[in-house]
Amino acid sequence: MPVGPLGLDPLFWAPLRLIIAVALALFLVLNGALLQIYLERKIQAIIQDRLGPYHVGPFGLLQTFADAIKLIAKEDVRARATDPWFFLAAPALVFCPMLASWVVLPFAQDIVGVDLNIGLLYLTTLGSMTVLGIVIAGWASNNKYALVGGLRSAGQLISYEIPQILALVSVALVVGSLSMIDITRSQAGPLVNVFVLPFSFLIYFIAALAETNRTPFDLPEAESELVAGWLTEYSGMRWGTMLALSEYGNVTVVSSIVTTLWFGGWQGPGVDAIPLLGVLWFTLKVYGVIVVMMWIRATLPRLRIDQLMTFCWLGLIPLALLNIMVVAVLALAFPDTKIPIALASWLLVIAFIAGVPFVQRRRLALLRARASASAVRAAS
Amino acid sequence: MTVPLGAYIAVSAGLFFIGCAGVLVRRNAVVILMCVELMLNAANLALVAFSRRFGAVDQRGSVFVIFVFVIAAAEVAVGLAIVLSAYRNRPVIDVDEIHQMKG
Amino acid sequence: MSFDFVEPVVFAVLAFGVIGAGAAVVLLDRITASALLMALTFLCMAGMFVLLGAETIAAFQVLIYVGAITVLILFGVQFTKQGGDRSYALFFQKQYPLAAALVAAVAIPVALFAFSFTAPAPPPGGGDIRPLATSVFTDYAFAFEVASVLLLAAMVGAIVLTTRDERAEAARRRK
Repeated sequence: MPVGPLGLDPLFWAPLRLIIAVALALFLVLNGALLQIYLERKIQAIIQDRLGPYHVGPFGLLQTFADAIKLIAKEDVRARATDPWFFLAAPALVFCPMLASWVVLPFAQDIVGVDLNIGLLYLTTLGSMTVLGIVIAGWASNNKYALVGGLRSAGQLISYEIPQILALVSVALVVGSLSMIDITRSQAGPLVNVFVLPFSFLIYFIAALAETNRTPFDLPEAESELVAGWLTEYSGMRWGTMLALSEYGNVTVVSSIVTTLWFGGWQGPGVDAIPLLGVLWFTLKVYGVIVVMMWIRATLPRLRIDQLMTFCWLGLIPLALLNIMVVAVLALAFPDTKIPIALASWLLVIAFIAGVPFVQRRRLALLRARASASAVRAAS
Repeated sequence: MTVPLGAYIAVSAGLFFIGCAGVLVRRNAVVILMCVELMLNAANLALVAFSRRFGAVDQRGSVFVIFVFVIAAAEVAVGLAIVLSAYRNRPVIDVDEIHQMKG
Repeated sequence: MSFDFVEPVVFAVLAFGVIGAGAAVVLLDRITASALLMALTFLCMAGMFVLLGAETIAAFQVLIYVGAITVLILFGVQFTKQGGDRSYALFFQKQYPLAAALVAAVAIPVALFAFSFTAPAPPPGGGDIRPLATSVFTDYAFAFEVASVLLLAAMVGAIVLTTRDERAEAARRRK
């Protein structure tokens, strides 16, 4: 049992360490959400050729802080017929798995909560627990729009878990371990995994956008659809917990996974000399990915629920399965080098990007043929 | 003092009998499915406990648990499909009412 | 001061959670409460797996049971109209003491027999994922393939069972 600093008795140090870790994770989640809400509004504003928040504080930096105070001070409106226990439990069910994921994220060489040897599996497991909270939230609101929104969101989340996990499995095949620290260490120097497995990166990125309910997959929580979907009855800080904290926390966790697996994690120039510099590189890379996600949000329109599900089951999952098969076969055939895998992966990426216009053109022709046929049938 | 193997088996037996009682007593089809899941979980606990006890010589317990997971998931999916399909015919969920094959 | 008391205390809490939530699943009237307490049973069970040193199996337990099966059961609950079901009334029937005696006659010797096992040697470090993966993919690869075919069959079967035949229903409604 480890002795605490200043020779603190292990009996006190062990639970104290746990409390400090939870408090630190909570602190990071809260501040991260604060920063990301501000970033989101500023980036959307810049892309949409307007200013964004600029009143409160220099460059509007304190805007989110003011919003948080407003949310906390809001009245707790609750419909009479909502189920009291479940209504209160749903934000916790959505928030806690996200908080628990922070324990395996590797911020620097020795700065990681726990180096679990099943780190990646642990993260996917926690990602699948959020679905339960959303279904309960939709059901407990006693509101048919919330119920349908919750079921839709649950369907979307469980569908997109599959390509997400398959993409992570392909990386684990190449690296040979599920531990986050091992995966980071396996990417020596500038040859990070994005050059070896870009197709997995693409699949995981798209699936992760859907898992965190980001545009273009944010149908369940969009304000113009189904009122506000499963969040309809939640207001004030409950909404703040469910939406802002959980969603941006999830976005940070997912970006951390992307950074660790495909961009080398905490590695960067000068890390060997000053280990603490790893935290800086990790944070910069994570926020780089987050900014790309926000850029996508400001640019792309929303997918309808049936388009979303069709894209997952008929598009992403076959591609993810093909990816795993190719990576597994090549990893077994050429166990020493990563070059065949890299070649095959880049070929798949190019085929995917070049093939999308053809597929879309064919589907459009099919839809037009079907529409004209039904119009002819209706007219006759 | 580490927890003895018998304690895990006692918990597993207790959960198994609770699930069994639930299957026999409850009349709601979905609750019966839930109690079957409880029984499968109890079996998993017993398997993992024994696998840990004899782990140096025999890993088969843990491997079997993986297959039990697979089969339990498949069984819940098909069971719920059957329940929903029967519900579409006659909107009752009480298994005492759905006891005839015809009509 | 050693930490030896932690493992039995954690085991006691988890055992209480498992048995208590299991009993609540059977006894409660409200089916959504039953479903959520079943999820709690699964979570406490995962905790027990971690206590036994099988953390991969614990992760699979949460992933499959809490993440998928509980959601499936909740979907099933919401697509059907649940009437009242006074479950506990059926416990007070005259066969009940006989059934309880039979259960005790089987359960108590089993538990006592299990208590007769001596304490095991501590398992080797490195977690349980490597031995598990090696066993599943080399010794039991055939069973693994058969399990995948079973899942495929279950998936296809569930879809076929619940697909509505639009034309047949429209025809039936017109009649």
